[in-house]
Amino acid sequence: MVNSTHPEAPLGLTLSHIHHSYDMPSGSRLVLENVSLDVEPGEFVALIGPSGCGKSTLLRLVAGLEAPDAGTLLADDTPITEPDPSRIIMFQDPTLYPWRTVRGNISLGLDIRKEKDPEAIDAAIRLVGLQEFAAAWPHQLSGGMAQRVALARALINNPRLLLLDEPLGKLDSLTRLAMQAELYRLWKSQGFTALMVTHDIEEALLLATRVIVFSPRPARILANIPLEWPSPPHREDPRLQELRAEILRHLEAVMASG
Amino acid sequence: MSDAQTSLGHPRALGTAAQTTKSRFSPTQLWRWTAGPAWLLAALVTWKWPDADDFPATNEFAALLLAVGLVLIAVAATGRLKDRAPWTVVLGLGFGAWELIQAKLLLLPRPFFGTPQDLLDVFLTDWKRLGDSLFHSLLLLTGGYLPGSILGIIIGLALGRSHHVRYWVRPVMRVIGPLPPVALLPLAFVVIPSTRWAGEALMALAAGFPVAVLTWSGVSAVDPAYYDVARTMGAKNRFLVLRVALPAATPQIFVGLFMGLGASFAMLVVAEMLGVKSGLGFYMQWAQGWAAYPNMYAALFVMSLMCTTLMTVLFKVRDHLLKWQKDGLKW
Repeated sequence: MVNSTHPEAPLGLTLSHIHHSYDMPSGSRLVLENVSLDVEPGEFVALIGPSGCGKSTLLRLVAGLEAPDAGTLLADDTPITEPDPSRIIMFQDPTLYPWRTVRGNISLGLDIRKEKDPEAIDAAIRLVGLQEFAAAWPHQLSGGMAQRVALARALINNPRLLLLDEPLGKLDSLTRLAMQAELYRLWKSQGFTALMVTHDIEEALLLATRVIVFSPRPARILANIPLEWPSPPHREDPRLQELRAEILRHLEAVMASG
Repeated sequence: MSDAQTSLGHPRALGTAAQTTKSRFSPTQLWRWTAGPAWLLAALVTWKWPDADDFPATNEFAALLLAVGLVLIAVAATGRLKDRAPWTVVLGLGFGAWELIQAKLLLLPRPFFGTPQDLLDVFLTDWKRLGDSLFHSLLLLTGGYLPGSILGIIIGLALGRSHHVRYWVRPVMRVIGPLPPVALLPLAFVVIPSTRWAGEALMALAAGFPVAVLTWSGVSAVDPAYYDVARTMGAKNRFLVLRVALPAATPQIFVGLFMGLGASFAMLVVAEMLGVKSGLGFYMQWAQGWAAYPNMYAALFVMSLMCTTLMTVLFKVRDHLLKWQKDGLKW
């Protein structure tokens, strides 16, 4: 476990009345409209909605990469004003640096903070099972391996909040199933809050403790569905089918009216 | 690159071994064993066939050919001469042909076309001045190319990362950059008190412009997500420029460095021919003035050797720094 030496509590989030828009050549475009959301420490929240609706923007705001036009974002009661290693974002593309080896990519966060901790790097490499590829260059990796490197690169920072922007979106279906299990295992063992954007309803239902359904742009919250499984659900579980139908009903209603 | 070499070299080595077992007189074997004799033949022609005129250093040249021939036979016996064997044969025969055409039969007009022994004589008698000229050329080149390239990289990084720098520097670059630096030489000799400094300044300009433009283009092409990844882990501007933008732009920067080196060579020769009173360009100008054509050829040979060596060094540096790339041009 990467953070066994300095255990840090998962982060809670309080987002209230967030508005955000982007400047486009055709004028300003509103992407988030009055979004309010509370996330308890240790939750795994999945954000679902039509593509381009603004979910990714929400993650960028929480990461501190951008500031909202209006509204407040609190991480454990502290306002979010800039990026911080306790809130790490992971993208749909692995975005590994091609000039660094697997090991060099994973140690990125340590290099930025001028920390030396070879054991933490080894532990992170083991955590995602890439011991044999530590010296490989990114172009030698498969898509799934590259995304596991990105995961290790995120986890070495001992994040208290992991922001996942469709991290499995570009993987083939078999790799995707394996990575879902891996994400679930890491979330269970590493003690971080997770906020994940996904287009895959089944993925959201299997991994998350709560699913938030967003409307098309500008994104508003349509539904907030807590999932309380007594034990991890099976893919064939009939309750999954019911929830899936419920989420689709929310989306279809708003698509039809919009 | 070493990986690429072994992976390329491997199947070929296998092929050679297979051919050797099949027949002893494969084409590879033939080339290998003709290399030495080709040079020995050239030595024999040079030594025994009487010269058409009183040329210097004929026997020295024959001895040189003989020595190379013997070394080649020794190398062939150890089994090493492989890829380069055909070239070595053609070179030996070429020297023999040149010797025959010019030194023995005088088929081409003198003094514009020299003989091999003329050239050798220049190296034997004038090596001190040639070496000194080479040294001064290298000194002048280093004084211009190095600062120019470093400045080019800094300007390129600034152009790629800062709106303010782009606003103020871009128009200046657009006016000065495309102008051939040679055109500024007369002005530079007047404005700058030392011709040496003038040459160096223009070489720096010749190298700096392509390096700056390509560094800028490399930095502009960096995936913005690379910055986001580093920023989310707490990186500040210094890290983003030096550890993200700079390595990401390195492939482009080297394209600029190669173009800049070529431009610097051109600038070097012109500066030495027109103002700077030392270096290979000056030597060539002087040799031509005295109609000492063998000296001119010798200087040309040294200059070509200098340029190709520097290019090779730059390629080696690039291959080392860019070993993370999938493939690259081999020099």
